[in-house]
Amino acid sequence: MKTRGAWAVSRQGIRTVTVLELRQRIRSTRWVIALVVWFLVVAAITGLTFAVFRSDLIGTDPTQPWIGRTIFGLVVFFVLFLGLLVSPTLSATAINGDRAAGTLATLQVTSLSAAEIVFGKLLASWIAALAFLAVSVPFILIAMSAGGTSAASVLSTLALLAVILAAVCAIGLGFSALTARTPASAVLTYIAVATLTVLSLIAFGLTVPAISSDDQVRLYDVSPAATWDQSGDQQCVWRTQTIRQVHTERTWWLLAINPFVVVADAMPESAIGSAGASAGDQDPMSIIRRGVREARTGPGNEQTRCWSSTQSGPAERPLNRSPVWPWGLAVNVLLGAIAVWFAVRRLRIPQRNLARGTRVA
Amino acid sequence: MAINAEGDGADPAAGVVATDVHRSFGPVRAVNGVNLTARKGAVTALIGPNGAGKTTLLLVLAGLLAPSSGTVRVAGLDPVTQSSLARTKTGWMPDVFGTWDTLTAREVLTTVADAYRIPRAVARPRVAGLLGLVHLAEYADRPAHVLSRGQKQRLGLARALVHDPEVLLLDEPASGLDPRSRVDLRHLLRDLAADGMTVIVSSHVLSELDELADDAVFMSRGQTVASETMAEASSSLRSWRVGTLSLSTLTAWLTDADIVWRPAPGHRPGIDLPHDEPGAVLVDLAGAEQASELLARMVGARLPVSSLAPAAGALEQAYLALDEERR
Repeated sequence: MKTRGAWAVSRQGIRTVTVLELRQRIRSTRWVIALVVWFLVVAAITGLTFAVFRSDLIGTDPTQPWIGRTIFGLVVFFVLFLGLLVSPTLSATAINGDRAAGTLATLQVTSLSAAEIVFGKLLASWIAALAFLAVSVPFILIAMSAGGTSAASVLSTLALLAVILAAVCAIGLGFSALTARTPASAVLTYIAVATLTVLSLIAFGLTVPAISSDDQVRLYDVSPAATWDQSGDQQCVWRTQTIRQVHTERTWWLLAINPFVVVADAMPESAIGSAGASAGDQDPMSIIRRGVREARTGPGNEQTRCWSSTQSGPAERPLNRSPVWPWGLAVNVLLGAIAVWFAVRRLRIPQRNLARGTRVA
Repeated sequence: MAINAEGDGADPAAGVVATDVHRSFGPVRAVNGVNLTARKGAVTALIGPNGAGKTTLLLVLAGLLAPSSGTVRVAGLDPVTQSSLARTKTGWMPDVFGTWDTLTAREVLTTVADAYRIPRAVARPRVAGLLGLVHLAEYADRPAHVLSRGQKQRLGLARALVHDPEVLLLDEPASGLDPRSRVDLRHLLRDLAADGMTVIVSSHVLSELDELADDAVFMSRGQTVASETMAEASSSLRSWRVGTLSLSTLTAWLTDADIVWRPAPGHRPGIDLPHDEPGAVLVDLAGAEQASELLARMVGARLPVSSLAPAAGALEQAYLALDEERR
């Protein structure tokens, strides 16, 4: 028999912890009530979204693809929103709660490794989060039936939601290993989620002055001496001018780490990048996607302000179309991985240092 | 009193050996120089006042805390470097613990068996046997939260035994147990020790340990202050209580016989002694043989003696004696 370290992992060990966690949770009736409430809320939101976008208020043909995509996008965003609200409660007290209840140390002294305990708890909270996601699937499918969304993008969206919820569960687990008291870890987890979703957005807005600069830009502009010629076209010339530009290419990542942006950006593009919003991409997902990619591209050092049919100006600065969501998803997953690593370190025994305010047993 | 200072060489057959173990939490030195040898096949009592470091020492022995310095061997293994292996040989029952409330007693033990990687086929009969052993068979399929404190305590004991450990560490196991369960616990631990298990029991309820323990280790302020076998503790000088129908007759005889006596507590010590009324006095005797001898003399002198018994448990007296030394 070999000595197993803190990172030794076996399927059986993880399953033991996961089954234990789920048994404790599933047998409480609160869990069933929560699922029912979730079901009703998502149903209500889906119904309301349909009611709004199928009504005369929109003033356009309700069978247009972008209407269908808007309905789909709003339902998915709402499910993600609820998932971000619920996931922290599933994992953010998993470790310090057990410690307070006096059940953690009795598990640590068994043959289970620290990693098995952490992964088992993570898996259990993720399964619980997936149960909420599964309850939402009927409504996501109903939203898909509104048109404009392919089955493939429904699947990829669900997969992304699942990964994001796993990352949030992992972050909650990390905080539950950090703090002694359960309210503290719950609050920290919500702050982390709020940082990813709302505070990052606010930071993006607030940093606009900091990333603005007066740049020398080549402008292809109407000549000051120009007169309207017979054809009605403008006389355009190149000139250099100092104008104020917002260099969002330095802060686009603040948008990219947002789980909502990740989900939106990963949707297959419809008519992205074409000048002006075509009828195809007025849905929220497409608007976000275009916005974040434009932010990433940033302003160039050449601009055209001349719209002439005869004179060819500089080609419009190409939009960086490479997807943003892999970066955002990677950051979220990385945060989760760091949290898991930290939690395993905290659960290693024999413990050398005890965090302030914590007890072993 | 035969109290040998600790630190003599480790017994190779020992189940648990701790050598100069220190453990501090920041500025607090919870364990500050513990030397302890717990023999295999014996019950060792860990005795000390609250805050003496008993629980911390047991956490170190259970492999949950690393000692700041010093070495520990549990079943011949180092809980620091051979953590997982040592854990499989160690059963630990904390003083305060929770149960997984929504699980039944049987599920609790099955889960622990899973956690120790015991195959289900082996675990099932073992769990059933343990539930019977701690008299919880009728509660096997009820959720743990309906169990009383004492029943949970017994379930905790069964949990510590699931993997058939070589070393059993029990932190205040008798707290919350009714008298019947205490007797059962005593018999169970004696049986386990007889089967070759090393049992360490911490407690401050000394009367519990008198009949249970083979050896005693005294702890005070994070240190082992003394250790002795129960035989030593019993043979050392201790107070015996002599009950009589006539205090004046007894005390007069004791004074004549040059036997030092003092009023027994609870019998209004001081000026109004001796009276010609029933009462009791304390005398210091070195073991049962001296007691028997004294009894024979008193009966021979036709004194109205009604009883002669140790005034308190052997451990309690040893403990109190240590306490006084410390002051």
